[in-house]
Amino acid sequence: MKTYVWLVKREFWENRAIWIIPAAIVVLLTLASLFGTIEATFFDSAERTRSMAGLMFLAFGALFFSALSIYSYWYLLDCLYTDRRDRSVLFWKSLPISDTATVLSKLFVALVAMPLLYFAAADAASLLAAFVLSVRAHSLLGNALWQPDVWLQLQAIWLYVIVTTAIWYLPVTGWLLLISAWAKRAVMLWSVLPPLAVILAERLFIGTHACLSAIGDRLIGYTSTAFNSHAYAWADQWSGDQPSAISSGAPSAWRILDPWGFLSSPSTWIGALVGSALIAAAVQLRKRKADQ
Amino acid sequence: MSSLIQARGLSKKFGSQVALDHLDFDVQPGRIVGLIGPNGAGKTTALRAVLGLTSYEGELQVLGREPFRERAQLMGEASFIADVAVLPAWLSVDHAIEFVGGVHPRFRPSRARALLANAGITGRRRMSELSKGMKTMVHLALTMAIDARLLVLDEPTLGLDILARRGFYDALVNDYMDDTRTILITTHQVEEVENLLTDVLFIDQGRIVLDSSMEDIAARYAAVAVTDDALTAARAERPFHERPMLGKRILYFERPNFERLAALGQVSTPSVADLFVAKLSRGASA
Repeated sequence: MKTYVWLVKREFWENRAIWIIPAAIVVLLTLASLFGTIEATFFDSAERTRSMAGLMFLAFGALFFSALSIYSYWYLLDCLYTDRRDRSVLFWKSLPISDTATVLSKLFVALVAMPLLYFAAADAASLLAAFVLSVRAHSLLGNALWQPDVWLQLQAIWLYVIVTTAIWYLPVTGWLLLISAWAKRAVMLWSVLPPLAVILAERLFIGTHACLSAIGDRLIGYTSTAFNSHAYAWADQWSGDQPSAISSGAPSAWRILDPWGFLSSPSTWIGALVGSALIAAAVQLRKRKADQ
Repeated sequence: MSSLIQARGLSKKFGSQVALDHLDFDVQPGRIVGLIGPNGAGKTTALRAVLGLTSYEGELQVLGREPFRERAQLMGEASFIADVAVLPAWLSVDHAIEFVGGVHPRFRPSRARALLANAGITGRRRMSELSKGMKTMVHLALTMAIDARLLVLDEPTLGLDILARRGFYDALVNDYMDDTRTILITTHQVEEVENLLTDVLFIDQGRIVLDSSMEDIAARYAAVAVTDDALTAARAERPFHERPMLGKRILYFERPNFERLAALGQVSTPSVADLFVAKLSRGASA
């Protein structure tokens, strides 16, 4: 257990971008709320003001989540590759740390530590922006930004998204780790080209598109599996097009999350299995490929 | 006493190319063994197998463990420097000490710090800011602060200047080596380690060509400097190699009659480097 703590620390020493990127986004968003112009027209009624507040926090979250996705992709591709490239793998392998522990520590950083850090950063940015805006535009906003139920819902959505994306995208994670443990160079190309080649070959030689739909469903099927159909109505409510819906019942994150649908979907578990197999393969490659 | 390393029929192929061809050898505790061979002879592959960095065929026991299957456990008792300059550029000296201290039960941070202080290397610097020689000293300090039973060094001074190489070996011999340690080392600079070694293993084309202690070399091999008039008589003693040297010829003998040789010219024990050349040239001409 102590070894894992050190391995995770090590990742933070090596990849300072893990915390620099979210910190930079917090700073940018705070600057934007300090110096941006506030359009009075958006806040012409109490309902709209309330919706805009929720929408703003949701947009903050989406921004952090996009940055997290892009960085995680790069991190997973890089984490078992750089130390083979600069041969420092020979130093790490001279220590009593198993290859399984090494791979799992990187998996933990990508799937747990980084998402939680981005989650904390998104909360910090939202709080700062809410504070700045309610001071700057108190006459327009009043206390619209300080609604405990909205905040609570955002926390719930974040935690739910962290857990469900980790499981749903496990095949992608496993694939990236595999490439990272295997490729001699050009990890980025290797992560993309083989799936494309398989899709093309299938279309050309067999004339079907099973691979395309399997990969496509994995990449875009997350929202429809983890969220239910209320989600779209819910998003519309936040965007302020149907202010009446709000008065008829507070918009609730609990209604759009679909944990039972997610957990009972076979493709959730098929994906988890495929992902685990790919991760196990990455561990085996890590064991065998000391350096190039 | 049981062997620290025991290899029986150790083999490794890369595709159709044979890197190790049924090696049998033992390394006893307390020895400093030089694994010596030309480029591509299989030295590094043999060391990788011993360290659990590569799979292999045949039997191999290191400290009573199977290296490839139990690398992590093995590294609790053995350590290695596989190459100079493999410490990652982003790592600071302090972090390196903290990390190894955190994961290695037999590492003593205070000892590493003392060694680094001697070398004049301060803690906050990153590897990218250090010269190659300093980086090697950091790596050596980290390794010497581990109370390991077996230390494996693969070309530890490659690319270093003479001062850094000398510093490396001085530190190794004076501050590290004692009766409880065993060192297995490969290097191209045979002359530099010759005085350190207690045993040599010559390896060529994936096979062991010579496996001997240094004392046995003196008892078993002789080099004689012979003038032309004694050459015919000397060749009758069946040298396995000869080469010209300053108007004389040096002839190399295995298990010779030392009394008869003394009558032919000046007898000496061949250096490891000379013996290596002589042994491998014979292989080439046979």
